[in-house]
Amino acid sequence: MIPQPFEYSAPATLQEALKLIDGGDRKVLAGGMSLIPLMKLRLASPEHVVDLGRVPGLNGISESGGTLHIGATATHHEIESSPLIRGRLPLLAEAASHIGDVQVRNRGTIGGSIAHADPAADYPAALLALEAKIRLASAKSERTVPAAEFFLDAFTTAVEPGELVVELQIPTEEPSEGYRYQKHQHPASGFAVVGIAVRIKKSGSKVSLARVGVTGLGPHAFRALQSEKLLESGASAADAAAVIDQGQEANADLYASADYRRQLARVFAARAITTALSRAS
Amino acid sequence: MKISGTHSLPVPQQRAYDLLQDPVVLAKCMPGCDTLEKIAEHEYHMKMKMMLASVSGLFDGKVRIADLQPTSSFRLIVEGSGKIGFMKGDGLLTLSPAGGGTEVQYDGSVEVGGTIAAVGQRLLDTTARMIIKRFFEKLVSEIAASADAAGSPA
Repeated sequence: MIPQPFEYSAPATLQEALKLIDGGDRKVLAGGMSLIPLMKLRLASPEHVVDLGRVPGLNGISESGGTLHIGATATHHEIESSPLIRGRLPLLAEAASHIGDVQVRNRGTIGGSIAHADPAADYPAALLALEAKIRLASAKSERTVPAAEFFLDAFTTAVEPGELVVELQIPTEEPSEGYRYQKHQHPASGFAVVGIAVRIKKSGSKVSLARVGVTGLGPHAFRALQSEKLLESGASAADAAAVIDQGQEANADLYASADYRRQLARVFAARAITTALSRAS
Repeated sequence: MKISGTHSLPVPQQRAYDLLQDPVVLAKCMPGCDTLEKIAEHEYHMKMKMMLASVSGLFDGKVRIADLQPTSSFRLIVEGSGKIGFMKGDGLLTLSPAGGGTEVQYDGSVEVGGTIAAVGQRLLDTTARMIIKRFFEKLVSEIAASADAAGSPA
């Protein structure tokens, strides 16, 4: 289908982009993997689309002082194939490699994905487990929000009108850490029916740090704090995975009921934790 | 699609029952509600603007309250349609005292059709529950605000 008519701008600088998105019925276009289909179906009919495609330097990937800086318009493919990310943030590279299909990974961007905040997106689980921070800018100011305070509800984030996701700041993983992103993929869309991201640090044979991010199960991604605590106090992968959905709401659709999703979350958590434990040294 | 859940309100049952049927309160708390006009006893005409992610749409519909069992239960029937689809919801709200407040349980079914249902099936349940949750959150904050204004504890 053909979208409703809309105004289109392709600013050449970040400042210009921020000015353009300040006020009115504006939508930001990055990779367009969510926005364009919605516009073509006329489910979304923004008056004005601001394309970030010509803003230079917004897709950079660099490291400084133990933190990786990933520009908002870095594509999923750039993230899964970047030697820097594969080396320093293998959990993020692994999550990126599971997103959608080749076309989506070539076009879709990390900033676009997290700003859209689909409850079944892959990145949020990994970003929570990695304790990432998200830098937001507006025409007037700038701020940084931890991932745990970013995903508020289905399609709802801490981004305020007039703000733009410009960068992710992620502390690098230690080489000795174990990690795993595992998902049950929807057969048609590739979305995570349930996705689990795990990071494990060991000291000796004991788990000294555990981080578990869960996506797809509830209205927004969350950290499974109970499972983390159990792992850090020496519980088995099976015991930690058994409580992963406790106290959480579960989504339901024609493909997967709430109970089935809970079961998937427990089974995939057990598998992901087991792999992460075996990868940690 | 079946939908059910429980929310609590920090007011006695009689007050909760009145609030949930007060058109001024409903209009304020219904997410995206533009106008709510009385067209008959217990029947209102409603205009709503739904905004979620990039999706937005105007809905035009009716809200009807039926089977009134004062202070313990009533049925809420909502119908609406717009360019992106249509919906029809029918729910039974049951009120019971809980501590100093009231527990509101809803049990109902929602039918959604049109483009929004054809392509958004995987998100309908999540969205419906989110709208209901936001309604109750707004209601609780309105109760707190009116208690502040009156200078008395809720």
